[in-house]
Amino acid sequence: MERNSDLSAKAAVSQSLSPLLEAVADGDSGALEDLYEQTSAKLYGICLRMLRSEAEAEETLQDVYLTVWRKASKFDGERASPVTWLSVIARNKAIDRLRRPSLPRSEIDSAAEVEDNRLSALELLEKGEESDRLVDCLNELEERHAAAIKSAFFEGITYSELAERSSVPLGTMKSWIRRSLIRLRGCMER
Amino acid sequence: MTESGNDMLAAEYVLGLLEGEELARARNLVRQDEAFGREVAAWAMRTAPLLAQYEAVEPPKSVWRNIEQRISRNSQDRMIGKVGKNVVPLHRRVGFWQALAGGATALAASLALVLVAWHRPATQLQVPPQSQRSPQPMLAMLESDDGEMEMFATWNPAGRRLTVAAVAPSPPRAGRSHELWMIGSDGKPHSMGVMPEKEMMSVKIASSLADRLSEGVTLAVSDEPSGGSPTGTPTGPVIATGKLQRA
Repeated sequence: MERNSDLSAKAAVSQSLSPLLEAVADGDSGALEDLYEQTSAKLYGICLRMLRSEAEAEETLQDVYLTVWRKASKFDGERASPVTWLSVIARNKAIDRLRRPSLPRSEIDSAAEVEDNRLSALELLEKGEESDRLVDCLNELEERHAAAIKSAFFEGITYSELAERSSVPLGTMKSWIRRSLIRLRGCMER
Repeated sequence: MTESGNDMLAAEYVLGLLEGEELARARNLVRQDEAFGREVAAWAMRTAPLLAQYEAVEPPKSVWRNIEQRISRNSQDRMIGKVGKNVVPLHRRVGFWQALAGGATALAASLALVLVAWHRPATQLQVPPQSQRSPQPMLAMLESDDGEMEMFATWNPAGRRLTVAAVAPSPPRAGRSHELWMIGSDGKPHSMGVMPEKEMMSVKIASSLADRLSEGVTLAVSDEPSGGSPTGTPTGPVIATGKLQRA
């Protein structure tokens, strides 16, 4: 009962964001402010969890909304839900920030271009997230493998960090995760 | 199968497991390989339900102020109050595009139409000449080097609202942005903000900058790194310039 009303409330909020994104795409900065008021807590939460630093999260959040300002025209209301689109942008930016030290200089210089291409990939996002399927399929995996995948997702930790945390060799962790991902995909495509 | 035999590179990329060389390889593939891009999107879709599980946390107020600044570079004043939703994108104005096709006089007529919608009631336009800021709306036609009109701008001092639109939008290349500048009587460029990719924008300008937007002031658009000039003055080529004139 509660879950249904949660979902429809969520859908209602997400729906009202589409026209705002459209208005932002038309260059209306007032719409961006409205969008910020409605979504910034969610996106800041993502940045904070990933970056574990308020200063980094605040800066990343700014970058996120600047990207939204410039790239809102890439949002396709027919295909994706606004909250998903925004959240993916925020999480990607947080990962980028985490990985910057590990990348060669040339990669850092081309960061903006990769961002653009990733946004184009986002255009392929389709509406209708399958919450239950993912939960069920994750549950089909070995617990520690599912936990590792979730840690990677929520905290943006790398293979080497994962391996260290679990005190297993890097190669072992990689093959665990890869096999689990193959199973996950198979399960979700059923 | 990808070259390395790693089927799961797209998934690993989305999850954030990659670093160093592997990450650089995945990023290259995103740039060059459409099939890889689709697989990345598929994994983003599969994992999307997890996004809902992040806890929301209110950010400090300073974040929005900084965003505002980067969008319209109002360094002194905060934007006061909500900006009105009564901004109609320029291309939706009746007759606008037809007017462009029709030639200069038709253009002037339709621009007048555009500006009429912003006029305050007539009484408010009777401002004594000593007034620092004339409430009369202005426009600027921004032309490229070869005389082509690339963009035009309208400025409504009464509402401190500036709109800029490209005549035939041509978004900047990947990794670049278009930035708007005003060059006042002091000859120094002041940023008016970064344009959205759609090449239309409608922003409220801070009082300090608004006071300087008078007849004869030059507006210019330059090509800058993504997010705008890192230095605060134009660093890239100028795309178009034009002077503000009374409508």
